[in-house]
Amino acid sequence: MFRLGAAQVARAQGARNYATLREIEMRLKSIKNIEKITNTMKIVASTRLNKAQRAMAASRVFNESDAEFYANAEPETPEADKTLLIVVSSDKGLCGSIHSQVAKAARRRSEELKGAVDIVTIGDKVKQQLLRTHGDKVKLAFNGVGKEAPNFYEVSLIADEINKLGKYENTEVLYNKFVSGVAFEPTTFGLVGAEAIEKAPGLSKYELESEDTSEVFAEFSLANSILTAQAEGYASEISARRNAMDNASKNAGDMINSYSILYNRTRQAVITNELVDIITGASSLD
Amino acid sequence: MFRQAFRQVAKQSSTVVRRTYATEASSTSDALKLSLALPHETLFSESEVEQVNLPSVNGDLGILANHIPIVEQLRPGLLEIISKGGETEQYFVSGGIATVQPGNKLTISAIEAFKPEQFDAAAVKNLIADAQKRAASSDEVVVAEANIELEVLEALQGVAK
Repeated sequence: MFRLGAAQVARAQGARNYATLREIEMRLKSIKNIEKITNTMKIVASTRLNKAQRAMAASRVFNESDAEFYANAEPETPEADKTLLIVVSSDKGLCGSIHSQVAKAARRRSEELKGAVDIVTIGDKVKQQLLRTHGDKVKLAFNGVGKEAPNFYEVSLIADEINKLGKYENTEVLYNKFVSGVAFEPTTFGLVGAEAIEKAPGLSKYELESEDTSEVFAEFSLANSILTAQAEGYASEISARRNAMDNASKNAGDMINSYSILYNRTRQAVITNELVDIITGASSLD
Repeated sequence: MFRQAFRQVAKQSSTVVRRTYATEASSTSDALKLSLALPHETLFSESEVEQVNLPSVNGDLGILANHIPIVEQLRPGLLEIISKGGETEQYFVSGGIATVQPGNKLTISAIEAFKPEQFDAAAVKNLIADAQKRAASSDEVVVAEANIELEVLEALQGVAK
């Protein structure tokens, strides 16, 4: 808007070359500002990345014991009417394809299960994307989480709300797994309900003393998986944001270069034109 | 055999029968490997220890090497880790799950764990008074929350110095 207005004002003065020069100058200025912003965001993301990775490493160890239990007990995935998909992402954008990747994975999974899914979203971005296509399936949406590394209190509140939805024998947590500083991968945690744990063929390897251990375990591992998913998602998001901002700064740098060359050339052209005008004017007087 | 399933709490009658399931406890190494993990921190990662005493909802358990695989819910209480050298490390845990995995591994996922000397007894007392007030409230949810808090705090009171 502003740029357009300036151009019109300049054009009204009649000096066509001067207008483009002003235009280029303003464009250059705004690109320089954008570069500053993206660069700062990149630096912020890099400093956060370390912390995020530490949180992720801790949560991986925390989740390991569950994973090992599942690996040993080998619960069979029960034939359930409906699967609960918990899609974990966050509220903030400007981090590349991280949200759309996990949303895409959720859509794919929903198709595989022939639409017999209920969806819970954690994070606004993924909610917006899934509401467009699977609006009727989204049962519950959380936001305001994922601004920093997750803590267990937040996660247990979320898990509590999810448990209020009713019993699902089959739950899947979809999240972005942190593979390396440049790569992430939408991945799934499969969780089963207490009944399936009780029926698991490998359960006899373990001694369960109280009756409700499997239920407690199922609930605990739900919270646990959400926590790990959030920690991994957070680390992936931060590193994706760093890369996205790095690219944006590079692109802005390239644009600044080409625009400054264009600006200088145009300025030179304007000067030459004026000189030509003056010289022709002067020589015509002779 | 008795060393394998050494228990401090007299819950022998039911466990004697079940002890026959201990076939999976065969392992390659003789030392118990402990992983003690919090959501935000890893305190032990597969470190070899002599014995771990843990507070479970069914009573206190002493876990030695070659224990039968079990899954236990923890109650608020003192977790004792006796290292190979015989030194004891204590942590107060608020709750969690302890699993002895086949292969001589003990994994404990606790929500919070702190050393007893990190607690302030006076603060605990204040919190107990506060929670008791709330336990007398008319709101059911508040009462339930206050009761859980009291359970943790009362366990903590015995531990904090």
